[in-house]
Amino acid sequence: MADITIDHLHKEFGLGADKVVALEDVNLSIGGHAFVSVVGPSGCGKSTLLNILSGIDVPTSGRVSITQDGRPARAGYVFQAARLLPWRSVMDNMLFVQKDRNEATRKRCQHYLEMVQLGDKGSKYPGELSGGMQQRVGIARAFSTEPDVLFMDEPFSHLDAITARTLRKELHTIWAETGKTVVFVTHDVGEAVELSNRILVFAKGGRLADDIDVKLPFPRDVADSDVALMKADVFKTFENLGAMAVT
Amino acid sequence: MSSMTLSPRRVWRWASHSSLLGRLLFPVVCLLIWLVSIKAVTTIWPFAVDVLPTPWQVVEFMWDEITCHTLAPHNMYVTFGISLQRLAIGMAIAMVIGIVIGLAMGLSKAVDAFFNDWVVAILAMPNLAWALFCSLAFGFGDTGPIITVVLTGVPFVIMNVREGVRNTPTDLFDMARAFGVPRRRVIRQVLIPSLLPFLFAAARYAFALGWKGLVVAEVFGGQDGAGWTIKFWYDAHRAYGVIGYALLFVIFALVFEKFMFDQLSKRLFKWRPSLDAVEVVEEQFDAPTKASVGAAAGASTATGAALGSITMVTSGRPQSVDDELKPPED
Amino acid sequence: MTTTLDKPPATAQRTSEEDIVRAAKRKDRATRWGWRLAGYVFFLGIWELASGRVMDERLLPGPSTVFETFARLWSTGDVPGAFGTTLARIAVGFTIAFFVGIGIGVLMQNRFLNGFFRDAVTIGVTTPGLIWALITAIIFGNRYAGPILAIVLTTFALISVNVSEGIKSLPKDLIDMAKSFDVGVIRRNRHIVLPHLAPFIFTGVRFGFSIAWKVTVLTEVFAASKGIGFEMRTATQLFRLDEFLTWILAFYVLALFLDKVVLETIERRFFAWRGELKS
Repeated sequence: MADITIDHLHKEFGLGADKVVALEDVNLSIGGHAFVSVVGPSGCGKSTLLNILSGIDVPTSGRVSITQDGRPARAGYVFQAARLLPWRSVMDNMLFVQKDRNEATRKRCQHYLEMVQLGDKGSKYPGELSGGMQQRVGIARAFSTEPDVLFMDEPFSHLDAITARTLRKELHTIWAETGKTVVFVTHDVGEAVELSNRILVFAKGGRLADDIDVKLPFPRDVADSDVALMKADVFKTFENLGAMAVT
Repeated sequence: MSSMTLSPRRVWRWASHSSLLGRLLFPVVCLLIWLVSIKAVTTIWPFAVDVLPTPWQVVEFMWDEITCHTLAPHNMYVTFGISLQRLAIGMAIAMVIGIVIGLAMGLSKAVDAFFNDWVVAILAMPNLAWALFCSLAFGFGDTGPIITVVLTGVPFVIMNVREGVRNTPTDLFDMARAFGVPRRRVIRQVLIPSLLPFLFAAARYAFALGWKGLVVAEVFGGQDGAGWTIKFWYDAHRAYGVIGYALLFVIFALVFEKFMFDQLSKRLFKWRPSLDAVEVVEEQFDAPTKASVGAAAGASTATGAALGSITMVTSGRPQSVDDELKPPED
Repeated sequence: MTTTLDKPPATAQRTSEEDIVRAAKRKDRATRWGWRLAGYVFFLGIWELASGRVMDERLLPGPSTVFETFARLWSTGDVPGAFGTTLARIAVGFTIAFFVGIGIGVLMQNRFLNGFFRDAVTIGVTTPGLIWALITAIIFGNRYAGPILAIVLTTFALISVNVSEGIKSLPKDLIDMAKSFDVGVIRRNRHIVLPHLAPFIFTGVRFGFSIAWKVTVLTEVFAASKGIGFEMRTATQLFRLDEFLTWILAFYVLALFLDKVVLETIERRFFAWRGELKS
């Protein structure tokens, strides 16, 4: 359970007339057994935020701090595209990101593969798996490093509805069992409502517009009326902000 | 086939749409044209009988060679061996030089600007020029042909390696960085495997173009080897010898190339999804590079081999020129 | 993981930012040109130096020698004749190859004929020009037909492949759309078929030309009494390496000029709409 503190975070791209503000003075903190969704229309800076949090990108100004009990936190990542090494087997892909590769680590990786129902696919190559399976490997990989916090960038957006549904359930189970902090970027409001206990709404231009606590009990069914109402509420927020531009 | 009747109309319809029949008919037609031309020419110019080869002469010659009954100093197998050896050495040198320069050009814009025009210039130079120059400069023996192979192959290796560097999978590097994977492991497990298809294509180009340059070099400046032997028959005014030997060597080179690179590809790229439409390496070339490579590769009539090798490298299944010319399925 | 950065300068003025960008781009371009020039100096320099020192001057004439030799040859009046003969051969051979290639490319859209010509094209694409040069030389000797036939045999296949690709990829949806609006065949051809095919044909021409000139010179080395290839052979027989180099370089420069300057300009003017995908 990590502590994430973001202080006056500001990110710009380009110079002069081409300058684009991706994130504008973002302040927030995340902690505990949180599943935080970041939602917003395209161009609102969700992915930029994640890139900065994962160290792939640097802020133009401001401070980001991710710690676990005082020390720098370890983080795991799940990307939109699975980003598996196509020339290595599934198990080798899991081992690629571990700190050491001894027998205990192997067992741990196998355990997480089984958690995503891919226990028998360890020796296969990513090219032999479907998109959904590859994404599951990505999720297993991220969790297998037993990080303090997990960052996920629209991990289900490239999958068909049925696979995505299954994976959401699996993700929820793992999260509930392992008690990690998850920061989950998505454009799908329904998904956010289904999975998270906190929703951050970003507006176009990189401004944090709203911070919603979702107190509905787990597990949640999309067909549930409370869930639907929550969804409507979030959409209302969008409308109020004029954040839903027709792109 | 819905009914059993074999009406003439049905047969004709099948025949005029049968690709296989066409393919079988082609060599027959060629043979006929050959025989008819010989007949026609010899009727007009009777003295031409000696110069014009007949199909039987060519076949007989080829059979003699295969069974080692040859008039040339070495038999076919020894000769091909000599040529292949030169090709191998030349290829190895071309790969080493090409990889070094290609890497440098891919990594540094300055180095790229420095070398680029010259690589293009060498690319477009006919292998004839190298062959003649080397034969004059190095006389008989192995050096001339080997250097010709190097000169014909190096620019292609450079281009391919440079493209490999330019096309590194940044998303995989980002992923590795995000997970804090140590640098050594990243180089070994991400960088090198991502370069491998390009190195493979480079080797294939070097081979395909190298042997063509080698033959020309041996024609002018060898004292043995396949090219020299062809010249031997040419000097002896034996047209069937020239045709026959050339056929033997070309077929040998093509079969060897296909076999060797197919095997290599199967082992190196077993992770490739076999039937997926994967991005072709060539598509990742930017336009000017593609034009230069294409023009020069075509210029040595290796387009088929090159195109085939490129698709082979990336799609995991061997593709010949045939595939490109399949009629549209509808 | 903690990152801290100071705030950026409060309000950077628009103009100075743009100037910085433009200056950076200019510097980048200048550096590239600088290195490019350095490359020329370097390689030409090495060549010139190697000529006297590393290799005997007669074996490896330097750039300055080549220039002198060219001037000398030009003054003898042989040059235009040789160039003319070779270019004429290329022109004739390539034109024939062009029409044969297009013909076969079109015919190959039929299933039967596709099977028929398939192997011919494969052979055409993979056989080295040298083989055709030798075979036609031995059969036709010094006659005009030899080199022409060799050019046709080496080049037609590449053009066929390109044309075939072009035809196979005709945008059926556009043609159907035109048909549904009752647009006549001639207009359809003019506005859809031809513009679509043009780049493919052009690619074939460009690559075909680069093959054609090389094969022409090659055949002339074996079986001609005039032309660039013949001059090259004579020079090697007389062991006049400077002349040999001069002939091939001169023609090579001409061919390069025709390809890069002439053809590329035509391509740019007519095919700008194609975007990044060029020959």
